[in-house]
Amino acid sequence: MIKLKNVWKTYSGNVHALKRVTLHIKPGEFVSLVGQSGTGKTTLAKIIIAEERATQGRVIIGGWDITDIKRGDIPVLRRQIGVIFQDFKLLPRKTVFENVAFALAVAGAEQKKITTIVPQVLRIVGLEKKSARYPDELSGGEQQRVSIARSLVHRPKILIADEPTGNLDAINVQGITELLLKINSFGTTIVLVTHNPDVVNGLKKRVVTLDHGEVVSDQQIGRYMI
Amino acid sequence: MIFVSFYRASTFALQNFWRNLWLSLVTILILTLTLYSISIVLTLNYVTDQAIRIVKEKVDVDIFFDLGVPEKQIIEAQTFLKNMSEVKEVQYISADQALENFRTEHADDADIQAALAELDENPLQDSLIVKAHQVESYTTILSRLDQSEFAEIIESKDFDDSQEVIDTISSASNTITRAGYVLSGIFIFIAVVVVFNTVRLAIYAQSKEIGIMRLVGATNWFIRSPFLLEAILYGCIAALIVLGLLFFSVQTAAPYLNNFFAGYEFDLMAFFRAQYLTVFLAELAIAVLLSIVSSMIAIGRYLRA
Repeated sequence: MIKLKNVWKTYSGNVHALKRVTLHIKPGEFVSLVGQSGTGKTTLAKIIIAEERATQGRVIIGGWDITDIKRGDIPVLRRQIGVIFQDFKLLPRKTVFENVAFALAVAGAEQKKITTIVPQVLRIVGLEKKSARYPDELSGGEQQRVSIARSLVHRPKILIADEPTGNLDAINVQGITELLLKINSFGTTIVLVTHNPDVVNGLKKRVVTLDHGEVVSDQQIGRYMI
Repeated sequence: MIFVSFYRASTFALQNFWRNLWLSLVTILILTLTLYSISIVLTLNYVTDQAIRIVKEKVDVDIFFDLGVPEKQIIEAQTFLKNMSEVKEVQYISADQALENFRTEHADDADIQAALAELDENPLQDSLIVKAHQVESYTTILSRLDQSEFAEIIESKDFDDSQEVIDTISSASNTITRAGYVLSGIFIFIAVVVVFNTVRLAIYAQSKEIGIMRLVGATNWFIRSPFLLEAILYGCIAALIVLGLLFFSVQTAAPYLNNFFAGYEFDLMAFFRAQYLTVFLAELAIAVLLSIVSSMIAIGRYLRA
């Protein structure tokens, strides 16, 4: 599903954010990408969604070599990969329903499709009864659920979660982790970028550890090591 | 799908318009001033062109013959002139005809009528009225006539040098036009900067929305289109306002100008009425082009990042 072959990311001044990263994530896998701050986890996530380009190496997503992806093709890629962030990225003046619908609306979906899909994904994340609320009327965990719902509307094969629990309390961390496992059980490949040892250790899934931009460990049922 | 996307982009564009209402109004004002100044320059150009045309039409040369020159010779002179390629028409006015014309022209003037009645013989001469195709040709025509056999039977030539009048009008018109173009150029520059700035501010105000749009797979065209449509909306509103302003200005100025051009084929209002669709479409094209160019630069710079 995701293949990285000897990927390097070098910034000006010869700063290497990623070095020699080779990784193969199979369809339906749940992979935690761990490491301390500044080790290149987020850079790797950005390369997968083509927000950044690898300086060297090849990046292949679902058989599609996106190393030199054309700007016009990026939207097509983004509709196949759901992304969620620590800061939720919700629009404060839109309701839960509208925030989720926004992802479909800007992709040109018919209104009929929107009214069918949005309630479905809100049900998956457990927010069907709060669809008329605004983001500031929700808890942090609920806001992250809205963000997850939005990332699911295009039925992505891959979900990239970049520190999704970073702003949440323990109970909400648990809830979001369970939600990610639930989505994974539907067959969606999950890449979880985190530095929360409790989350990683509780999952008992594959763990890839990055240190100074290099993969230093790749365990099938791993633990947080650093 | 295209229709749905267009509808959504239009909705976003209208939202942007209302959210930054004051900025939108200022942008429209600047576009309006730009279009209005261009229109005024073009109208002035039209009016001065008409003035020059009318003056040119008015120019002719009267050639008076010595008393007692046989009509045959005058007809020969008329043929000589007619054969010149520069000459448009030559009209023969016999002395009798001239007297008759004079009588008719002053029919209401009792003194002149009385004086005419006193005359024993016709004091007026036979004459030819020469009209050239181009004002510049009169000097050539007259010099050729001077070198011809008819020179000795010509008593006088009455040629008020209209070239001077034409030159004065042309020069004034050129000055006005040049100043107008400079002014329009300045307005165009300001309009581009203002539209650019308005679109930039709108983009900044919505950077979060744009970020999310890109994240969830909106195409660059979809992200661009609301800003483009907003700019086109500015252009359309400005063009409509200018059309109204022009109508009002022309209506106000027309009586004075028509009075000035009285007796000639000139009606500014009729011209405007006949041309208003063309004028509007031209205004619209200029405004929309200005808006599109400046907003494309503003959006392009942002989206390239």
